[in-house]
Amino acid sequence: MNLSIENISAGYGGIPVISHIDLSVAPGRICALMGRNGSGKTTLLRCINGLLPLLEGRVRVLGRDIRDLGRDKIARMISVVPQVSFSPFTFSCLDMVLMAGAARIKAWSAPSEKEKQKALDAMAETGIGHMADRAFNTLSGGERQLVMLARGLFQDTPIMLLDEPNSHLDFANQHKIMALMQSLARKRKMTVLVTLHDPNLTHYYCDDVILIHEGGVRARGETGKTLTDEVLSCVLGNNIECDMTRKGVFVVVPKFNPVHMNEKVNL
Amino acid sequence: MKKTPVIFGLVFPVILFICLCTGRYPIDPGQVAGLLLAPLGVENRFFSAPPDMMMVFWNVRVPRIILSVFVGAGISTAGAVFQALFRNPLAAPDILGVTQGAGFGAALVILFLSPLALVIQTSAFGFGILAVALAYILASLSRDSSPSVLVISGIVISAVFQAGLSFIMYMANPYDQLIQIIFWTMGSFNTASWVKVRAAVPLLFSGILLITAFSWRLNLMTQGEEDARSMGIHVARWRIFYVLVSTLMVACSVTAVGNVAWIGLIVPHIARYLAGSEHRRLIPMTAILGGLFLMIMDTVARSLMLSEIPISIVTSIFGAPFLGYLVVSAGKARFSHEPQY
Repeated sequence: MNLSIENISAGYGGIPVISHIDLSVAPGRICALMGRNGSGKTTLLRCINGLLPLLEGRVRVLGRDIRDLGRDKIARMISVVPQVSFSPFTFSCLDMVLMAGAARIKAWSAPSEKEKQKALDAMAETGIGHMADRAFNTLSGGERQLVMLARGLFQDTPIMLLDEPNSHLDFANQHKIMALMQSLARKRKMTVLVTLHDPNLTHYYCDDVILIHEGGVRARGETGKTLTDEVLSCVLGNNIECDMTRKGVFVVVPKFNPVHMNEKVNL
Repeated sequence: MKKTPVIFGLVFPVILFICLCTGRYPIDPGQVAGLLLAPLGVENRFFSAPPDMMMVFWNVRVPRIILSVFVGAGISTAGAVFQALFRNPLAAPDILGVTQGAGFGAALVILFLSPLALVIQTSAFGFGILAVALAYILASLSRDSSPSVLVISGIVISAVFQAGLSFIMYMANPYDQLIQIIFWTMGSFNTASWVKVRAAVPLLFSGILLITAFSWRLNLMTQGEEDARSMGIHVARWRIFYVLVSTLMVACSVTAVGNVAWIGLIVPHIARYLAGSEHRRLIPMTAILGGLFLMIMDTVARSLMLSEIPISIVTSIFGAPFLGYLVVSAGKARFSHEPQY
């Protein structure tokens, strides 16, 4: 296993947000983390990346305890695609991507031509090769997310963590990012852990799913087997139904919608 | 980056030459050439310098210009560093209280101890460093390690030292001490000498070299603490390094010439318009422009009126409208190119 988490608890100000979580993700697989807002998904990602001290338990990355590793070593193993990306200064997209090479580049040095080529390759892989010289701050939310994804790929790590990569994206870009992640995980044999809110996207693109509820794991397993009416209703807090369309596509919808149920809508 | 060699290679020497010619004791370009060539042993058949001109040129004007170039470069570089560290284009190099601390240190000595320049400078340097150290200690008491806490601590410490400075000014004898304190706080190069050049320039030059060498990492420092850490940077350690080097440069500058307003804020912005935000390109451009800008401003300060104008007045009068012009002109250009969503 590239990533294994053993009975971890963590929180803020000594108050646990997540408790006794175990999980492991194999190479080449995408694992979704699902749960309501504030359930502890981002906290769990911060623990895995060594940004938040654990109250108990252990995170192992490629067999090594994360607490024994320095920031540069962690950055060679784990890349992070953040939820919101903003730069107070106007960097080019290529400069933004190149920053992820910091763990490989000597402190007094700058990226070599070889590194620049590698960054351009990562950008081409995510379909934004033509944007290398464009100012990052002038891009749309979807384009920025693709730059962040290229940055994660350029970091070239066996594990990638994505924190709600679809939060600012339109329908088409959500699928574009997820399809890209799926193919890259397979091709590069990466371990990908992604926090998602949409069970449909989870079902389409993720191999495994972990459902977090009130700081603990409510259910886990292969996506097709784990996403059930009962589990989703409990975790996402709505009366949820999983169904198949006539074309055989798995869909997750709320069981009823008051607006649709009542033909007359009083505004 | 393409513009840096042009500025360095063409514009800088021309303006330097003009500044060497200009002053209340004007020297012709031919005379300046002769004065510059004389120490190299090159005979100049057309010109022999009178002793007073030699004295003004080599003992007053040349050290003054050297000091203004390095102080301008140092403060501007520190400004670019602080703007990156605090992810704030409005951050100035005295954001952590170094200028206020140095001002208080200088005023304290002027009031209670000795008007000797060396004592004043030592006290100013010590209190400048002390102010930043106190800001750091205050910030470290908070559980929040974000740069905004450090900025707030800097504001607190600045306010305390500023209050102390105001109190000393209130207490000072208005006929000699107060004038000395006011002139010191507004900054001037009129006391520039080879002694000051030898004291300040090695430190400023080393600081600029160090920041230039480690400039690429500043890009990551602009990305927020967690992003930078995720990309392999030990943010807290690097912040200490950049703050320490920048503070030493600013303290050294303030000690040598007093407070120089605006330059640390506006020069990095002008440099950004020319070289972009990437710090490997930005830092050398900022240093060169800062040196150039302060050299011109000091020439204006010593030439415009019969009596010398404090440097901060000149830098504010010329610098602030120029920044406003850049913001307006660049704003128009940027909005016309930005995609509409």
